[in-house]
Amino acid sequence: MPTTIISSLLKRFLPLAITVAVVVWLYHHYGALTYTIENTKEFMRFVAEHIFLVVVSLAASVIVGVSLGTIMTRKGFEKTGPAIMALVNIWQSVPSLGVIALAYGFLPLLGLSGIGVLPALIALFFHAVAPIVRNTYAGIEAVSADVIESATGMGMTERQILMRIELPNALPVIMGGVRTSSAIIVGTAPLAFLIGGGGLGFLIFTGIALMDMGILISGAVPVALIAMIFDNLFGKLEKIVVSKGIQAEEYQTA
Amino acid sequence: MSVMLSFQEVTKIYPGAEHFKAVDSLTFDLNEGEICTLVGPSGCGKTTAMKMINRLISMTSGKILVDGQNADRMDTIELRRSIGYVIQNIGLFPNMTIAENIAIVPRLKGWDAGKISEKVESLLEMVNLPAEEFMNRYPKELSGGQQQRIGVARGMAADPPIMLMDEPFGAIDPINREHLQNEFLRIQEKVRKTIVFVTHDIDEAIKMGDKICLLRNGKLVQFDNPEKLLTEPANDFVRDFVGGDRTLKRLNLLKVKNAMQTDPPLIRALESLQTAKGKLSELKTDHLIVVDENGRLLGTVDPAALGKTGDKVAEVVQATQAHIQASASLKDGLSEIFSHDLGFVIAVDDAQKVVGTLTEKDIKALLRK
Repeated sequence: MPTTIISSLLKRFLPLAITVAVVVWLYHHYGALTYTIENTKEFMRFVAEHIFLVVVSLAASVIVGVSLGTIMTRKGFEKTGPAIMALVNIWQSVPSLGVIALAYGFLPLLGLSGIGVLPALIALFFHAVAPIVRNTYAGIEAVSADVIESATGMGMTERQILMRIELPNALPVIMGGVRTSSAIIVGTAPLAFLIGGGGLGFLIFTGIALMDMGILISGAVPVALIAMIFDNLFGKLEKIVVSKGIQAEEYQTA
Repeated sequence: MSVMLSFQEVTKIYPGAEHFKAVDSLTFDLNEGEICTLVGPSGCGKTTAMKMINRLISMTSGKILVDGQNADRMDTIELRRSIGYVIQNIGLFPNMTIAENIAIVPRLKGWDAGKISEKVESLLEMVNLPAEEFMNRYPKELSGGQQQRIGVARGMAADPPIMLMDEPFGAIDPINREHLQNEFLRIQEKVRKTIVFVTHDIDEAIKMGDKICLLRNGKLVQFDNPEKLLTEPANDFVRDFVGGDRTLKRLNLLKVKNAMQTDPPLIRALESLQTAKGKLSELKTDHLIVVDENGRLLGTVDPAALGKTGDKVAEVVQATQAHIQASASLKDGLSEIFSHDLGFVIAVDDAQKVVGTLTEKDIKALLRK
């Protein structure tokens, strides 16, 4: 049916087409293109710094988040697990700017500089780790008790159960947490500029300060694009790493 | 037969419930190749007793010997890998394919890949699921009955001498359950595992068990084979538990061949009508069973038929549906007797050869014995 083909093409390419159109219009209308071309070298540095902030803080969030979430499900943490979860949830409600400000204000108390890349990374990490902790914990807790019992009864060690049963089955939920965290980090990363962390935030805040939409757009649009690319990448990664046996139905058509 | 599994004064007291022995001085021996059904009302300790074998639950006192070795002294992981485990809710691993699920224990034991895939295929064949169709599917794509078959295959994967089955067919609808039970018994004929089978259903316990271990409040009430449990219940509790219809239940256990008369009134199809009439009056019976040269069932003749004009019995024989396999249960035999007005059914073997006759009287006589 040609109509269904057209509608599926529309579904697939319409968002992309609209995005490209809006980006082109913004760049053209506000002269962001000219600004970007004239300052390519600096622009590329901001992009690199920005991606560095995102990748490093996200990697740290994943490592720490999955570990912490997993430890909370182990024996001996039955009571402390939910308590830690409650703390993590409260922590997550602190707004982005608040986290950046806290890093600036608190790190000197620990003898660290409140200015620069490291405080920015620390702030982003703390801001984004919560969803991963929460989803890892919830994902593992949700693995059916029957599955664990039969694994135990068949003679799998606790480590084997964790690595081959619990984590793989919790993976869709964990990946959901990682995607949320990546969205938080990409969205908060521009604020890193405020405490000397660099990145595309420089262009955004400079644009605001100078009331120059061209500079602002040349920072803001790449930030949005990076967010979209990351989310897309994680979506693809999820299809690859999550077992077909537990993927949601809609993924199976591929 | 050697003893494969031995419970010796096994007691379990759960922490926080010190006044109550969940399992109380349980002692019994199970021979190699036998199915022992642990049965009793809920809370009787049957599941606890079973889980102490592979040490999912630790015992408070006593000893369990697995093939002569004290289970408590064995390495837990090794012990569990040498015991097949099948549970009610199956617990297939959703992230793994059917083949991967079955291969779990062989893989843990470090079998080589070729041997594992060979085993997986033969097990799938054993449980009637074509390997090429099912191997690469995931548990969620299978029906409940198919999943439970995989559960059984997985439990047998590493050829454990002992299997523990915790209400394995409990979550399956009655029709499929009956089917799975029969299929499992057929498999057991071949593999001859020593099996501890937990169920709350006395009918299932009687059907599946070579031995029945009836528990109440953690105590062993009666340990016997099904026939004994039905005919000689140890006390009123057992009598009540097996139910008022325990005589009818015995019909399920006993076979047609146990009760039938083995001297059926036969007549060959090629004999003359005259001979047939003579035999009829000689045997003082209403019917003769007509067989061919090889003794296979052709039908019956009665006086009315013999009164017809004709030469040979073959010309007047009346076909009959009133026959049954000698290996069928007496319950089916009785049902056949009631559904035909012959007054008896003809017992035949696998080759349709007539081996006996069965009447209500024969059944009564056997049940009273």
